[in-house]
Amino acid sequence: MKKYLFVILLSLSLPTQAITLDDLYKRYSPEGESAFDAERGKQLWNQKHTAEDGKIRQCSTCHGNDLSKSGEHVKTKKVIDPMARSVNAERFTKMKKIKKWFKRNCKWTVGRECTNQEKGDLIKYLTQF
Amino acid sequence: MTQQTKSILVWDVPTRVFHWLLVIAFAIAWLSYEDNRYLDTHIFSGYTFLGLLIFRLIWGVFGTHYARFQQFSYNSTEVISYIKGLFGEDLRHYVGHNPAGAWAIFALIGFGLALTLSGLFVLGGEEQHGPLAGIVSFRQSGIFRETHEVAAYGLLLLVFIHFCGVITESLLHKENLIGAMFRGTKSADTESASVRPHRLIATTMITVILAYVMATFGGYLTETADQPYLPFKGPELVQNELWQEECSDCHFAFHPSLLPARSWQLIFKQQADHFDDDLDLDEETVTELLAYANANSADLEQIEPAWRMNSSIASKDTPLRITDVRYWKKKHEEIDAEVWKRDSVKSKANCAACHLDAEQGTFEDADMRIPGDNSLDSIEWLKSVLGGAAK
Ligand code: HEC
Ligand code: HEC
Ligand code: HEC
Repeated sequence: MKKYLFVILLSLSLPTQAITLDDLYKRYSPEGESAFDAERGKQLWNQKHTAEDGKIRQCSTCHGNDLSKSGEHVKTKKVIDPMARSVNAERFTKMKKIKKWFKRNCKWTVGRECTNQEKGDLIKYLTQF
Repeated sequence: MTQQTKSILVWDVPTRVFHWLLVIAFAIAWLSYEDNRYLDTHIFSGYTFLGLLIFRLIWGVFGTHYARFQQFSYNSTEVISYIKGLFGEDLRHYVGHNPAGAWAIFALIGFGLALTLSGLFVLGGEEQHGPLAGIVSFRQSGIFRETHEVAAYGLLLLVFIHFCGVITESLLHKENLIGAMFRGTKSADTESASVRPHRLIATTMITVILAYVMATFGGYLTETADQPYLPFKGPELVQNELWQEECSDCHFAFHPSLLPARSWQLIFKQQADHFDDDLDLDEETVTELLAYANANSADLEQIEPAWRMNSSIASKDTPLRITDVRYWKKKHEEIDAEVWKRDSVKSKANCAACHLDAEQGTFEDADMRIPGDNSLDSIEWLKSVLGGAAK
């Protein structure tokens, strides 16, 4: 109960933190949503990359194959909350978080930062769920 | 030899209750000392033991005739002549304690006090709990631990001697002294009179101890899977919201008291290659996190784990992993490889899987349970019994 109250208070006190999808797309392209393609996002999400250690890395390595279910950090085994917004409404609502994790996860998985185009595509794909 | 003509009440009820509760408390203390998990039980038995001894000291002055110290204060000549008598013709019978037994009792009380008082010092020094928390330092606690151990073995030896004495006496006088400590009656000459039983005082003693049992272990009866009962609450460590936010996504957020400041400094210096991850924290964030880590690091030795972790790291080393520190390895080496693979554990870094107070960072001995191990069967059993009794 306390936790929920805390979350509510937090979201009230920091209204600037919550971001709408439209704003999000506009950040990655002046044209907004129409510039992005969910199919390309899907491909990127499922693309396999070979890391230096010879192991295959892809987004599902940690987030799992079923986006409506919890994932698991491949190294630490810590549970990662589901990516699908249908079960986890907090996904893609905080700009700072989105920025941080795109940077970290693209670097770790793909080996480089993702472009704005790729980020928008990924969001379009992921927010379908 | 005294003429034995009648049976009288020699040991009043409080003395007998004291005696047997002391035996039980001593046994529980021995059974619970080794496994850290049962430190709460060990401390419970220690306090009970001390409480009983204090009662006995009072009862030795104000109690009934045979319970008074004055009644069985014999000097060494009397003890020697009594022991000599055992092997000769002059076998003397005492209604209360015989001189040798009396000396054993004074020694038992003395060692008992040394044992429990040194225990309080260990509790204050090592765990920073109890009345001496904050007064005894970690470093000073070593000497008290040694005293505590010597006193424990000394008392065990004395109990053995006392027991042999009781058996010898019982055989020589053909009188069951163990039974007498249950019933309270012994044979006596005609001049001796029964003492008052003092049942009310004994009932009060038992009530107080039962209340103490409930206060200590009652939490196990009401705990749920989400809110397990923490028998030990450690000192409150400083928490930091930003730390919790930035460090808890990929793994459990380790409290800074688990590594020395130089380790945290290195971890943040190498944040671009944090175990193959680029943390990419901005300067402002790093400054705040590092300030928090520095102010609460293991070298401050504010709690036992911090002190032990820090003391086991050579000053030239700067470990990046908690799980590489010698003390950590030593404490966890006995855990089965299979346990680490359990779904509920999975990783060594998943401290909270076993340590109920990992979030708080206190890692109290008694707040640890290996998930899936049902070492708590006895508690489950007790719960069902008490639950049944309540209905
Ligand atoms: C090494 C494990 C790992 C891999 C691989 C990984 N992620 Fe993540 N991801 C995480 C963790 C941990 C979080 C943060 C925890 C959380 O938000 O529940 C996260 C969070 C995110 C978020 C934040 C969403 C939000 O707003 O809450 C996005 C977006 C994301 N990941 C995208 C990706 C993409 C795209 C890939 C593949 C290029 C990927 N991740 C691969 C571990 C991983
Ligand atoms: C992007 C993911 C990620 C984030 C965020 C992260 N870590 Fe880590 N951390 C890891 C990984 C991966 C490991 C290695 C785990 C393993 O090998 O079991 C690790 C290990 C550690 C260890 C060593 C644990 C051990 O085995 O003893 C420490 C200490 C640590 N991290 C501190 C931090 C601190 C402090 C923060 C917050 C500033 C932080 N981490 C944030 C990914 C992360
Ligand atoms: C699989 C369960 C498990 C996990 C996971 C685990 N521990 Fe432990 N830990 C134990 C057990 C069991 C003991 C008690 C060993 C003993 O009886 O001496 C213990 C003891 C300790 C102690 C000593 C407590 C004391 O005061 O005597 C510390 C400190 C500690 N663990 C820290 C950690 C940290 C930090 C982590 C995470 C990096 C961790 N543990 C992860 C099971 C675990």
